[in-house]
Amino acid sequence: MHLKKLRKLLLLPVSLLIAALFLTAPKAQAASKKTYIIGTDQTFKPFEIQDKDGTYNGKNPGIDIEILREIAKHENFKYELKIMSFNADVQALQSGQIDGMIAGMSVTEERKKTIDFSNSYYTDGVCLAVAKDSKITSMKDLKGKTVNVKTGTTSAIYAKSVQKKYGFKLKYYTNSNTSWADVKAGNADACFDDGPSLRYGIANGTGLRIVGKQVSNAPLAFAVKKGKNQELLKMFNDGLAWLKKTGRLKKIVNKYTSKKAVKSQVVADTSIFGLIKDNAGALLQGLWMTIELSIVGILAALVFGLILGIMGIAEHKFWHGVANVIIYIFRGIPMMVLAFFIYIGMPTLLGHKLPLFTAGILTLMLDEGAYIGAIVRGGFESVDVGQWEAARSLGLPYYKALWKVVAPQGFKLMIPSLVNQFIITLKDTSILSAIGVMDLTQTGTTLIAQNFQGFKMWLIIAVMYLIIITLLTWLSNYIQKKMQH
Amino acid sequence: MEEKYKVQVTDLHKSYDGVHEVIKGANLNVLPSEVVCIIGPSGSGKSTFLRCINKLEEFQKGHILVDGADLADPKADINKIRENIGMVFQHFNLFPNMTVLENITLAPVELGKEDKETAIKEAHKYLQMVNMDDKADVKPTTLSGGQQQRVAIARALAMKPDVMLFDEPTSALDPEMVGDVLNVMKKLAQEGMTMIVVTHEMGFAKQVADKVAFFYGGVIKELGTPEDIFDHPQEEETKNFLNKVLNI
Repeated sequence: MHLKKLRKLLLLPVSLLIAALFLTAPKAQAASKKTYIIGTDQTFKPFEIQDKDGTYNGKNPGIDIEILREIAKHENFKYELKIMSFNADVQALQSGQIDGMIAGMSVTEERKKTIDFSNSYYTDGVCLAVAKDSKITSMKDLKGKTVNVKTGTTSAIYAKSVQKKYGFKLKYYTNSNTSWADVKAGNADACFDDGPSLRYGIANGTGLRIVGKQVSNAPLAFAVKKGKNQELLKMFNDGLAWLKKTGRLKKIVNKYTSKKAVKSQVVADTSIFGLIKDNAGALLQGLWMTIELSIVGILAALVFGLILGIMGIAEHKFWHGVANVIIYIFRGIPMMVLAFFIYIGMPTLLGHKLPLFTAGILTLMLDEGAYIGAIVRGGFESVDVGQWEAARSLGLPYYKALWKVVAPQGFKLMIPSLVNQFIITLKDTSILSAIGVMDLTQTGTTLIAQNFQGFKMWLIIAVMYLIIITLLTWLSNYIQKKMQH
Repeated sequence: MEEKYKVQVTDLHKSYDGVHEVIKGANLNVLPSEVVCIIGPSGSGKSTFLRCINKLEEFQKGHILVDGADLADPKADINKIRENIGMVFQHFNLFPNMTVLENITLAPVELGKEDKETAIKEAHKYLQMVNMDDKADVKPTTLSGGQQQRVAIARALAMKPDVMLFDEPTSALDPEMVGDVLNVMKKLAQEGMTMIVVTHEMGFAKQVADKVAFFYGGVIKELGTPEDIFDHPQEEETKNFLNKVLNI
C-alpha cells in the first residue's frame, strides 16, 4: 500500500520532467520550410568571428558565416547556428544533433568515412607560431618543448604526425584564443594552428609570430553526416558554384585575408572600467543565463535529489539499491562528459534533437541531483533511530513517520550541506559552456576572443561570480536563521 | 481459555545474525490489568524481549498474541496492533520539532482516531494526569529528563492503548527525578492498566508488580509474585543476581 503511494509520489515529478523535455523540443517538420541546424565553431578567425553577444549576427562574422549566409539566401533555405567547440560540432554532426557543419573544416580521408563533404571553398594549411620574443626559429628547436593544438583539428592531426620526429609534448585546447594566450604567457612554447587564423590573430595583436612555412595544405568544405541531408549538401554546392562564378567568394575571402583585411573592433579603453563599460550588455546577459541555469537547475536537482533520498531510505529495500546505483552513476561521471552525452548522445537514443537549455538543465539535474540525493538520504539517516521507534510504536505507518517526524528533523540537518551544494551548482554551470551555453564563462571566452584582454576579463568575471555567490550565501544564512526560530 | 490473556508470548526465539540467539524460547502470559516487572542482568535480552512485543524487533520463531492478534502472522496489520500497545523508552524519544502538546496529539490526529479539537482536549487531560499541563506549549528540549519521560507516558496514553510497555523508563534519569516518574506509573497500575516493565528499580517491582520475571540467558528463568522472587528465589542465578543488586 505504501509502496503504491510512494510510486505515485515519484511518478509525478518524473513524468513532469519528461513532458517538459518533449514539449521544449523543437517540433519537427512543423514549419513548411525546414530550418537546418548548422553547427559552427566558437570564434576561429578569420572563419568565425563572434559578436560581443556571442552570436554571428554582426557585419563581419567571418568567411564561413558569410558564405553560408549568401548561399542560404540564394538557395532559399533557413538555418539556425549552433555554436560549440570544433570537436563537439563533429560529434554533434555524427549523432544527428545538427544537420550540417561549417567550421573551417579540412577534408581528410579519415573524416570522409563518416562525413560527406561539399566542394571546397578555400584551401587552408597549418602554421607553427611562437611568442614574439621566442628563440625558436624552426621545428627542429621544438625538442622537449610543449606545443599547443586545438582538439580534433587538422593542426592536431599534423602535430601528431610529426611529434615523434621533432620530440615535443602536446597540450590540447578546445579554443584557439586560449591556446594562443597560453603560448604568449609562456606556459607553452609554441602552437600549431590554422594559417589564416594565426595570421589574422597576429594582425590583431595576439603577440605571436609565425615560424616557417604553411604546411599540410588541405581544402576546407561544408559537411553533413554521411548519407544524410543530401539535399542540403546539393544546395550548398549549387550555391557555392554561383558564389565562385559571380566572384562573390573571392570578395568574401579577400575581405578577411588581404592586407587590408577587416580588423577586430579596436578596443579603445582597455582599463578594467573601460572593459566593463564596453561589455556591460554581454556580461549581464551571460550573468543572467548563469543565474537562470542555476535556479532552474537547482530546483530540478532538488526534486530529483529528494526522490533519490526518499528511495534511499524507503521501507522496501529494493529502492535503496536503485537509489544507490543512480547516485553512483551520476556522481561518478564528470559533469562535462554527462553534458556531452546528454546534448550529443541522447538525440541518437531519443530520435529527436534536444534544445541546448534543456540539455543544460538535465545535466545539472542529474549531476547535482545525485549529490543532493546523497545529502537527503544522509540527513534522514542521521536522525536518531529512537525517533523512528517512537513514531512507529504509536502506530504511525512508515511514510507517515518519515514525513511527520523524521523528515522535518532531517531537513534541518541537511541545510548547511544543501546550501553548499547550491553554491557548487552555481559554479558548475560554467562547465556547460563546453556544449555552447552562453553563460558568464562562455561570454568571457567570446569577449576575450575579440579584445585579447584575458587577464582583466577573467578578473571581471571572477568578481562577478564572487558577488552572486556572496549574495546567495547571505540569502541562505538569512533563511537558516529564520528557520531556527 | 487463551483469550483470557492480554499478552501471550510462546516459545519466542530471536537472533540478529541467524546464528547466535539472544532470546532462546521465552514464554510469558500477562492477564488484563496485571503488572509484570522484568528484571535481570544487563545483556540478558530483557529489553529485546520487550521490543519484540510491539515488533520493534523482528523475531524468527514463536508467537506473540496481543489481544488475540498474532504478531507472527505475516498478514497482521502491525500498525493497527501498535496503536493498542503504548511504549515508553529509556531515552524518552520525544519529537524535538514539536511542542509537548503536538507530541501528544500527533498520532491520534494523524491516524484519524480523534479530530484535532478532541485530541487537544484529551492531551490536556493526560498532561494533567502526569502533572505536566503547565508545559503544554514548550519544546521538549527545554524540559528535564523526568519531565520529558512523563510527557512520553502521556503521549503513549493518548492512543488509549490496552497494554503499556516500559523499557527501563528511569535508567536515564537523575536520581531525584525517578520518584515522579514511578509515581505516575503507580497511578497507572492502580487504574488497571496492563503493564510490562523492564526495570532496575527493585523497590518499584516489589511494591507494584503482580508478577516479577527474572530474565536470564535469553529466557525467563523464574517467574512469580514479588514475594516468591525476592524472598524465596528458587534458581541459583536469581539468588546471585539479587545478592548483587540488593546488597550494595
